[in-house]
Amino acid sequence: MQLFIEQLLNGIATGSIYSLITLGLALVYGIMRILHIAHAAIFTIGAYMGLLFFNLTGSLLAAIAGSMVVCALLGVLIERFIYFPLLKHPPFVPLIASIAILLSVEELARLIAGPQILTFPALLPFPALHVVGVTINSTITAVYCITALVLVLLWAITTKTELGLAMRAASQDRAIADAMGINSHLIISITFVIGSAIAAIAGILVGIYFNQVYPTMGAIPAYKALAIIVVGGMGSAPGAVVASMLLGMAETLLIGYANIPLPRDAVAFIAMIGVLMWRSEGIMGSR
Amino acid sequence: MKRPLLEISSLSKYFGGLKAVDDVSFNIRKGEIIGLLGPNGAGKTVCFNLISGVYKPTSGQISLDARRIDSLSPQTIANLGIGRTFQIVKPFANLTVMENVIAARGIARYQSMVKIWSGWKTPTERSGAINLLEKVGLAELAERRAGLLPLGNLRRLEIARALAVGKKLLLLDESFSGLRPEEISHLEALIRTIREDGLTVLLIEHNMRVAMGLCDRLVVLDHGSKLTEGLPAEVRANESVIEAYLGRKGSAYAA
Amino acid sequence: MNGYLVTIATIIAINAIVASGLNVIVGFAGQISLGHAAFFGIGAYTAALLATKAGLSFWVALPGVIAITAAIGLLLGIPSLRVRDDFLAITTIGINFIVEAIFNNFEFFGGALGISGIPRVALFTLKLRGTEFLYLCLFFLALVMIINWWLTRAWAGLACFAMREEEAAAASVGISPVKFKLLAFVIGTGMAGLGGALYAHFMRFISASDFSFPLSVSLLCMIVVGGIGTLWGPILGAIIIGILPEVFRPLINYRILFYTTLLLLMIRFQPGGILGENSAARRLFAKTLRRGKS
Repeated sequence: MQLFIEQLLNGIATGSIYSLITLGLALVYGIMRILHIAHAAIFTIGAYMGLLFFNLTGSLLAAIAGSMVVCALLGVLIERFIYFPLLKHPPFVPLIASIAILLSVEELARLIAGPQILTFPALLPFPALHVVGVTINSTITAVYCITALVLVLLWAITTKTELGLAMRAASQDRAIADAMGINSHLIISITFVIGSAIAAIAGILVGIYFNQVYPTMGAIPAYKALAIIVVGGMGSAPGAVVASMLLGMAETLLIGYANIPLPRDAVAFIAMIGVLMWRSEGIMGSR
Repeated sequence: MKRPLLEISSLSKYFGGLKAVDDVSFNIRKGEIIGLLGPNGAGKTVCFNLISGVYKPTSGQISLDARRIDSLSPQTIANLGIGRTFQIVKPFANLTVMENVIAARGIARYQSMVKIWSGWKTPTERSGAINLLEKVGLAELAERRAGLLPLGNLRRLEIARALAVGKKLLLLDESFSGLRPEEISHLEALIRTIREDGLTVLLIEHNMRVAMGLCDRLVVLDHGSKLTEGLPAEVRANESVIEAYLGRKGSAYAA
Repeated sequence: MNGYLVTIATIIAINAIVASGLNVIVGFAGQISLGHAAFFGIGAYTAALLATKAGLSFWVALPGVIAITAAIGLLLGIPSLRVRDDFLAITTIGINFIVEAIFNNFEFFGGALGISGIPRVALFTLKLRGTEFLYLCLFFLALVMIINWWLTRAWAGLACFAMREEEAAAASVGISPVKFKLLAFVIGTGMAGLGGALYAHFMRFISASDFSFPLSVSLLCMIVVGGIGTLWGPILGAIIIGILPEVFRPLINYRILFYTTLLLLMIRFQPGGILGENSAARRLFAKTLRRGKS
């Protein structure tokens, strides 16, 4: 029982990290219908920048802030100079561009920072918790709290502000949003800013949680995130969160508790194919 | 009394709570030119989509030559002899005008796993396609890439494709939209010729003059239900039709 | 001919065969597939198993290899094609990962060690190696090209083109989207299977990592760079992508970065590929032709 609860809590932590990674992807897909695989590149850069700023300043807060700014900028640059001009082409064109960006960033990271795994020995100033006889260390508590904070903020922005309303309108139908005076290109850029900033946070959290920062750290999250947004419903941010949580728990419990001999990363894709068979819009997608 | 070519009974299509088409019934006899009228949003294109198999009805039946077609796929319905145009034109943009028409003429072969391997770049196909293009007046543009054509020509291309397919019934969705006056009279003449060749035509049209002049009978929809049907003169004078188009006050302004 | 050049040329020829198959799926039928390497792998493993475990010769096994790969392509195509464009990209990525995981984790496929000791192809009593094997690959490449050429002239090809351009309009002229998408999938994966068989007998040792997702991306790059949907595009693309790493070899460390940056620039500014309709290369060519005339 103890093991079960431990793994469950681990799974929720994993799921939380997945949701931070996937949120940006879901938001971008929702508003641009582009599979933004380069999102993983931003995630990787977020981790490296966070590590860099942390080593320079010793302050974790500065690291997070600095990394978020860099990533937000990067996200907008990608959107403006690569994706937006390619919108009129068939969808695999921006997709290939996105993959090329991810691969280029991996290479740049390898050339600049070196191929070795770097450590991120930051201390997250969160307490360890004792729940139902199980101890969760401070890193996991940090993951819970930060994820909750991000989700609440995002929910508040999208439902309580005009910006949020404009974002939801533009993702439903951009032409009509334009006609109603919403500057949809600005909204798209803002969406990228938000998504990329969240990716930066995710990168730093993953770097600290696993104490590993390395050039190809974005690869698996990139593909898993794709499977997750399919399961959750393409373009649905709440769906992405739900699917992320479910996947995090499923992966950890299946492998860590039930000891099923599946390669861990295949679970996401098998789940995806299963969901597609059952309900092709995903858990929370709309027909 | 011969069996009608197309019978639509109690046809309904609901999208969630929205009743796009609600309990519509009418028949079309062979050789008729029927106009499907109604203000925007009346459900006319939805009807076309139901007849041509793009949508499945929520309830009701559609029969062609006494055979039910409402659950069939669009390609099967095309094979039964129903050709259609689209309100938003859908040319095969990267193919030439001629290739667009030849593609439509291929309908006789697409269902067979054997025939699809024979060649289409034959003199027979070319002349057959040119034939159709001449009917709609696009023969000189045969080698032009379809994606480069202006709207008027694209509408005519749609009709050429529909002609290749529609051996029994032609569904024309706003085919006169965006055409110049001389193109309109040319098209009217073409449709009359088509009818003489034995085809039946159901058209959606906003151009009242064309509809009134061309059609034998009119069916008027409003908000998904059938308002009325009848001869052009009857429909034109019908109060509720005028009201549907012009609004309550507008009937005072109607001629 | 220099042994090193022969090897490069052979790999390029095999890639061109596989890329041609992808071109049928993506270029002719307009379906996106990011998992084509999986079918390359299925062909290779099938050939390897038939050769090592069943002792069949390359020639006897070949029809079986192509048929099995195409059949799996059909099976996986059916659920994939029920979904929309964007889903298809992800589904095919998933197929790549799952197939790779299967090859890696099951003893039948040799697990992580793969399959080794695959014999060379024998033509009567002659064992084909080096230049002779290259000729064999070129022979099959020519065959594949002829099939593709025939496809563009056949009603099946025209149906695929129409469906690629406007699916709804294609249906309205009697073209069943599902049928022709599956047809393209079967043909495309069959060609990948052929390439896989040649690869297995060339390398004589295969493992799952030879057929992973980056290869699917490479293959897509080849047809994009060469010109999607064109007849010669896959070959041109295979040549360029095959030669690039060698050309940039001197910049050993920066090779991959150059490669990916080049891809990014290419797709950003010339998505139609070199042989594409409005490409800079075509326009330049046309200009020089005109200058030559006057």
